[in-house]
Amino acid sequence: MNAGPPGYGPYGRPIFTPPPYGPPGSPYPPPGSPYGQVPYGPPPPPPVHFSRGVHRLHVSTAVISALSVLVIVFVLGGYTLLLGQTADGVEVILTPRSIARFLLVMMPVAAVAAIIGFWTWWSLKFHISGDDLVVDTGIVRRRNRRIPLSHIQAVDVVRPLVTRVFGLAEVRVELAGGDQAETRFRYLGRAMAEQLRAELLARAAGLPGHTPEAPEHPYWRVWFGTLLGSQLLKLPVIGGLMLLVALLAFGVVFRELGVLAAALPVLLGLARGVVAPLVMHARFKAAVSPDGLRLRYGLMETRMQTVPPGRVQAVRVVEPLLWRSFGWARLDVTVAGYVGDRQALSSVLLPVAPRRVAFHLVGMVFPGTDAEAVRLLPAPRSLRSPFGRSAAGTDDAVFVTQRGRVCRRLDVIAHARAQSVRMTSGPLQRLLGLGTVHVDAPPGPVQVAAENRELGEARAIVESAAERAHRARATDQRTDRWAT
Amino acid sequence: MNESHPPAREPRDMPPGSPRILPHAAVPAPPFTSPAPPGPAGPSPVPIGGRAEQAFDPPAGMVWARVSPRLTWHRRIAVLLWALPITIVGAFVLARASGLLGGLIWLGVIVVACAMGWIVAELVYRSWGFAERADDLLVTHGFFVKHLVVVPYGRMQYVDVTAGLLEQWLGVATVRLHTAAAATDARIPGLPARDAAVLRDRLAQKGESRSIGL
Repeated sequence: MNAGPPGYGPYGRPIFTPPPYGPPGSPYPPPGSPYGQVPYGPPPPPPVHFSRGVHRLHVSTAVISALSVLVIVFVLGGYTLLLGQTADGVEVILTPRSIARFLLVMMPVAAVAAIIGFWTWWSLKFHISGDDLVVDTGIVRRRNRRIPLSHIQAVDVVRPLVTRVFGLAEVRVELAGGDQAETRFRYLGRAMAEQLRAELLARAAGLPGHTPEAPEHPYWRVWFGTLLGSQLLKLPVIGGLMLLVALLAFGVVFRELGVLAAALPVLLGLARGVVAPLVMHARFKAAVSPDGLRLRYGLMETRMQTVPPGRVQAVRVVEPLLWRSFGWARLDVTVAGYVGDRQALSSVLLPVAPRRVAFHLVGMVFPGTDAEAVRLLPAPRSLRSPFGRSAAGTDDAVFVTQRGRVCRRLDVIAHARAQSVRMTSGPLQRLLGLGTVHVDAPPGPVQVAAENRELGEARAIVESAAERAHRARATDQRTDRWAT
Repeated sequence: MNESHPPAREPRDMPPGSPRILPHAAVPAPPFTSPAPPGPAGPSPVPIGGRAEQAFDPPAGMVWARVSPRLTWHRRIAVLLWALPITIVGAFVLARASGLLGGLIWLGVIVVACAMGWIVAELVYRSWGFAERADDLLVTHGFFVKHLVVVPYGRMQYVDVTAGLLEQWLGVATVRLHTAAAATDARIPGLPARDAAVLRDRLAQKGESRSIGL
């Protein structure tokens, strides 16, 4: 399995040892050929030693920021210099005089913009020193930030549409902590970005910095048709479409243009609910490698996410009602590094996949567990849960809860990752003798809660979860040097 | 003892029966079966809840360490401080709109609300308790919605002690535990300031020796 170059001996942890092609017994064609063992980058670029010397962003960054300053100035007022009063009103006049006037004003602006661009490029320096990534920003007000590589939660390479033209990429290094805990390098050359990513991950894993990129095995790819179908086959989407058709039919039959006012928000909502995920997750490919799960996706803005082993805090398998007849499921994760709006952007591990694949991947992010095999015990019937009973179950490795009848959600957290265990009981719950047990994960889409258990049982769950978490933490390997 | 606190106040800070949290050696609590002698000053040291509330009992062989009764007064004063402007503004508006009767009704409502706040303050105070086990800290609180939080020491990222103006005046402080999960919300209000500092240091020390990152 670890058929990589000899440098990969230390990677031999069973944690991300993948099956050759997808989960066992996959009926799907092995997605091998579209992406072979040469992952990306046309010719092998000369290696960059990030631990030697000081590095800067790509020079075109200066040009891009200068250009953006120019565009802003032009839009905010520069264009008025080209306008003139004629008999027909205000229009663009391109006489030598007006052009000269325009240039006279814009030349100093361009000079200032060039200085600003150069300044932003010059002021950011970074290098790897020992176990830290050191980032210096600012010339007048210096700021020096040392990031311990072992604290890295995820490394993303993002390539927005505009910078793809220039062959640039943005590298985001996510750390656990608040909104300030992210370090962005925008923009690096594409090859340099890949190398920085590889070196950061290799060093975080405890390997020498110049270990070549860890080999990866394709795990799953989502076909566009499946993605489109899965986005359309949702009850809110179908409801929205029906509402839209009804509104338009009403408008056509009664020749009433007023319905457009109602149809427009529906259309916008549909665009947000269907088109946005489609654009975002198109060409979704998941691959496993010793330094983590690698996800590549995006139509306009391509992203490459790497989640190192042990960084996933909790996962959720979502099965909307209409997906279940196809056996589809979505997999959401909580990774400690992603907070705020990045959470929403980066929390999907599989946008749509067969249920079996989703559970297989759960077993890979929480090695040695089988979330599907955990026996779930339904909560006692009560007045408070008209939408189906919740269920909960646990084994020595994971705590699993299930909620929702229409949109079934299965939340999984490894005991070793639990931050705290809570029991709450509201007034009505206490009247019925019920309580809710939460196993807390860092902020994210997944919140694990066993709802409406009998109070005595709830307390027993709390005690057992705390006990199992203690044992799991004692045996859990430290994840900050996962290769050593 | 402490310079900032008159020694005479110390014995009354914690109700009798509470495990003393000050000295390190006193942490192993007296066995559950030996009820403390009911003192005349503090409230009775019964574990919160009755037989119907077995679920929120302290862990076997321990009793909840209690917080200072001054927490009750903190809450009562806070209720009064809130009630005062609301009473004045509301009574003024209602008196202008519907005469003296409206103002009086408003006053009555406020008085009833304050009386309820007065009682609830005591009940909420009695609901607070915490216990330090070998590997985790248990905190329970809540009168309407009951909570029980189990925080492993190894998961604590930092512990801080805060005291608002009113708390400072009453000589109490709040110890707050932070984990990577925002939902954890483990805090212990109403500890005498010195005990709070001692507890914080002890928790931080335990957290450090068991820290395991994320």
